[in-house]
Amino acid sequence: MTTPVLEIRNVSKSFPGVKALDDVSFAINKGEVVGLIGENGAGKSTLLKVLNGIYQPDQGSIFVDGHPVTITSPRHAFDSGIAMVFQEQSVLPTLTVAENIFLGREEEFLRFGLLSKKRMNAAATKELAKVHLSVNPAMRCGDLSFADRQMVEIAKALSLDTRIKGHVTILLDEPTSVLEKREADLLFSIVRDLKSRASFVFISHRLEEVLEISDRVYVLRDGKSVKELESRDATVKDLHQLMVGRQLHHEYYREARQAVPSATTVLEVQSLTKSGSFSNISFALHEGEVLGIAGVIGSGREDLARCLAGHTPFDSGSLKVKGEQVHFSAAYDATAKGVGLVPAERKVEGLVAPFTVAENMTLAALPKFVSGFRIRFADENAVARQWIERLSIKTPSTATMVGSLSGGNQQKVVLAKWRIAGVNILILDHPTRGIDVGAKEDVYELIRDMTAEGLAVILLGDTLEEVIGLSNRVLVMRDGEVTATFEAAPGNKPAQVDLVSHMV
Amino acid sequence: MYQMFLGGALRVKAAALAGGAWSKQWRRWAPVAVLVGLCIIIGLFNPNFFGGANFVRMLNTAAIPLVICMGVTFVILMGSIDLSAEGVIAICAVAASMLVANDFTGIAIGLFSVPAAILIGSLVGLLNGFIHVKFRIPSFMTTLGMGFAGIGLATAILGGVMVRISDSSFRDYLSLGRVFDIPAAVYIAGVAVIVAYVIQERTRIGRWVYAIGTDEATARNAGIPVDRTRIIVFGIAGAFYGLAGALSAAQIGRGHALISQDRLFTAITAIVVGGTALSGGVGSVLNSVIGVFIVIVLTNGMVLMGIEPYVQKGVQGLLIIAAVALALDRSRLDVVK
Amino acid sequence: MAAILKNTLNRRSVLKGAAGAAAVGAMGSSFPMPAIAEETTWTLANSLRSVANPYHATFAKGGEDFAKSIGAKYEVLVTEGNSEKGIADIKALLQRTGGKLILNVDPNDSPDARVIVEEVKKAGGFVVTQWNKPADLHPWDFDPNYVAHMSFDGVPTAEAIANELFKAFGGEGGIVALGGILSNVPAIERKLGLDNAIAKTNGKVELLDFQPADWNEQKAFEITQAWLTRFGDKVKGVFAANDGMGMGALEALRQNGLAGKVPVVGIDGIDAAVAAIEAGEFAGTVAWDPLWTGGMGLAIPYAHATGKIDITKEGHEHREFYGTGIIVTKETVGAFKNNPPKVDFNDLWGKATGQIQYRG
Repeated sequence: MTTPVLEIRNVSKSFPGVKALDDVSFAINKGEVVGLIGENGAGKSTLLKVLNGIYQPDQGSIFVDGHPVTITSPRHAFDSGIAMVFQEQSVLPTLTVAENIFLGREEEFLRFGLLSKKRMNAAATKELAKVHLSVNPAMRCGDLSFADRQMVEIAKALSLDTRIKGHVTILLDEPTSVLEKREADLLFSIVRDLKSRASFVFISHRLEEVLEISDRVYVLRDGKSVKELESRDATVKDLHQLMVGRQLHHEYYREARQAVPSATTVLEVQSLTKSGSFSNISFALHEGEVLGIAGVIGSGREDLARCLAGHTPFDSGSLKVKGEQVHFSAAYDATAKGVGLVPAERKVEGLVAPFTVAENMTLAALPKFVSGFRIRFADENAVARQWIERLSIKTPSTATMVGSLSGGNQQKVVLAKWRIAGVNILILDHPTRGIDVGAKEDVYELIRDMTAEGLAVILLGDTLEEVIGLSNRVLVMRDGEVTATFEAAPGNKPAQVDLVSHMV
Repeated sequence: MYQMFLGGALRVKAAALAGGAWSKQWRRWAPVAVLVGLCIIIGLFNPNFFGGANFVRMLNTAAIPLVICMGVTFVILMGSIDLSAEGVIAICAVAASMLVANDFTGIAIGLFSVPAAILIGSLVGLLNGFIHVKFRIPSFMTTLGMGFAGIGLATAILGGVMVRISDSSFRDYLSLGRVFDIPAAVYIAGVAVIVAYVIQERTRIGRWVYAIGTDEATARNAGIPVDRTRIIVFGIAGAFYGLAGALSAAQIGRGHALISQDRLFTAITAIVVGGTALSGGVGSVLNSVIGVFIVIVLTNGMVLMGIEPYVQKGVQGLLIIAAVALALDRSRLDVVK
Repeated sequence: MAAILKNTLNRRSVLKGAAGAAAVGAMGSSFPMPAIAEETTWTLANSLRSVANPYHATFAKGGEDFAKSIGAKYEVLVTEGNSEKGIADIKALLQRTGGKLILNVDPNDSPDARVIVEEVKKAGGFVVTQWNKPADLHPWDFDPNYVAHMSFDGVPTAEAIANELFKAFGGEGGIVALGGILSNVPAIERKLGLDNAIAKTNGKVELLDFQPADWNEQKAFEITQAWLTRFGDKVKGVFAANDGMGMGALEALRQNGLAGKVPVVGIDGIDAAVAAIEAGEFAGTVAWDPLWTGGMGLAIPYAHATGKIDITKEGHEHREFYGTGIIVTKETVGAFKNNPPKVDFNDLWGKATGQIQYRG
């Protein structure tokens, strides 16, 4: 039994309202490629960030070559032989390729305190050769294509190999999601080449890729490691089953209250296309309907949601609200037509944190509370109180700053804002992200209330379970296209596995 | 003249829409194009502009702003702002004038007052950085307060009088003396630019300034000691202000609390016009050199062309907007604020 | 270099004032005087912009001299270019002294004068204003508390010093002129005086160019450099609306080897200008005698408060009057330095030169 080069034992990590990692153990042996899979939010990225020193675990320990270590920073991780390729690129556009590769590790090119660009560029050329990228190392990264920047990012991680004595581990967080097939294949051949020197942890939503490149696979679900299996023994179908896991809870999602939508179409989307994001999307949304959209990161569903709400323009296609052809040049155009978006980044886009509860609630409908040049504060407060009661928002008063409320209550304030604005088509982008179970149930209840009143909802759920449980119909997207549509009547819901196979 | 500027701005906008590498190249060179364009226009109105004597005069006028801009540029590249320049220069100018032969103190250490001024400047700068980083006070407030404190301190020391410098060699070596008919201040400013350029291009601090200014989180992840770098950069900026203080005292032969009045505004204008983004990460000390010359040439040129004083400020404002519009890649900005 | 002069209030100086307060706070915005002999219950105070400039530093000294001569408590209030701070400090001092306050104030901005006068009248103190006040605010409308308003007439002063400049280069040729901030009253007056002087030469002196340098030494330096390029040796003299700008112009001339060859004049009488006159580089300046304005602005109301005079019985020429500017030139500089103007606190209106005129 060899000592694992990198091992974690019983690691837990919590964020407010979410247990991201729950007693996870995990080991990587010398020269091994380990796959890590799970749904969005299963804890994969958190695990990688713990290994990279960005997060500190609440409990549990990390071992490098059998020795317990505390990884305090990414630099520390690097010096311990662990490098990471980030899912969101960390290449700085204003620096050159060489400067990016050696950022924070310029010591070796110093002479009398001055950097030798010549030596740095020469060393960078060597690192770039490993990833078969032939760009000038003196070029600014901002001038490179997105895929080339990704290769620079990979080269940066691989540079560890020549700089650290001993064995190294490289963490790849969805490195292929922006790569073409040819580039992905190149990456795999590099990984195989380097196996004698390095171990890899590989995260991807493309399960075929995971099975192709990995020796072993760990499956994470809800922050727990549910299964460890040898790649050669596994099939994509097995992995789907393991990722999805538990049965549906009918009551959790208030399926009994799922209404049959009316025949009235409120929103009709025809061949909507935005280059680089999605293409040729068509569907109709009816009064009282919840339409779920499922898809992994990069499927284009987030961009679609933002287009529908007027936040970003689309290139071609048409949009009809209640039979009327509309063109949104900004979010307020959409609001005027009764379309509102509850964004995933609540704090960034959904709420003005230093404003009070009442001010946030009336933000989208302020003209209704203005006479002449005066805001009718009494009316504003009365309406705010009404909604606080109706949605049982836990807040000391209408004058409390929204930023001080819990996530679930903040979300309710956002929903109240759109209801007050008279919106009747509501797009919910991850409405339950980062809020606790109780608050989730409240949000589900609210969605049922709203549809019972005739509102139509487009839902981008946090989990598949949620999408299936809440929706009347589910569209599945992959690489910017709708790959399947499922009816999801109560008692006749599609299985998650069926959806997953159209997602990846 | 306005029409020409505006015409230029419109063409660039069209180019930016067309996109591609050409517009990127253009943006990089836009400040130089503005400078050359200005020179040609002014020269057409008044050929004296191209005379050697006028160039020497403009270089001489540019010397102190150049030194100040070298300091401010690093701070801005890092994504912070330094509003303390005027106060720090005042302290250093007063200190320098009190250290050479003068009518206020009995001290006369001659040219050693220059390193002393630079040292004082960098200490105040380090203090700026320390307060900003350790107490997490935005650089805007920290340096604004430090600038006022600097002027207040200079006032308190002098009680409203001026220090008159009687050391003529100090004035000769730092300002008045000429080699090849070019004043000493110009050579000193030239050296300051070279030092700044070497710091920017050939030191770790230089690289880290860009990294921090572009994305602080990524810089931190890469293992860059972000806090320490910030403090050092404010110290470097302070050193340049210290030199500028000594040069100012030598130029007018006196030290007083209001010696650097309006210098900061000129410096920040020059930096922005030169194409360095206030958001950090984009620009260079060389951009600032171009920016300083744009501002100096414009001031000089408007007098040469005999433009009505009432119109001058308007032209200056329009030029700033036009230059920023040319140099900035607005397509990358989501929110403009 | 600003100027002692008025209304140089702009956004920057307000900003600076706001924090200058903090900076100067350490050394105190007021200087309590050790009481030599507590002979009076009146507190004396001068309110001014900043002791960072020589004019106001001397102005504060003049007040101190008078307070010392009668053994009164004396304080200096500094506005740092911030009207709100200036008024708030005055209110606080009125409160503290129970209205037993004699105030000599150079208001930060003209409108401040009315507020200050009303506050002083309410509290029962006495006030003299300097330089800045609205044209329709008169001491006799606030008897007896608003004792007097003192100023200096920029027009004849500028005309006189311009003539000194013309004399210095032989009375024939071109000059360039640096003005203050375009909207300032003293800047406008001084420009008017220069124009009058030029008109009277019947075309012998030509104004080549006029540029506002906003009371700023550095700007004056830059503009003068450009003038040398544009006009070359056509420039026979430089007129500056204050000494600070004059010094900037002089240094620009020095850089071009012209110091002492092209004469410069300024206004204010700062030390550096007086030294430049001695060196033969300045042709002249006008000294305002801030020692006199600083002391007399307290002496007149004190005379009334102690019953020596009844200000309400004095004519308008003793309520709103101009002081005397002293022309300092190469010929008079020696005398000026050796015999600095004496202030006789008993001769209340000895240096007054007529009732204030309101032009357009």
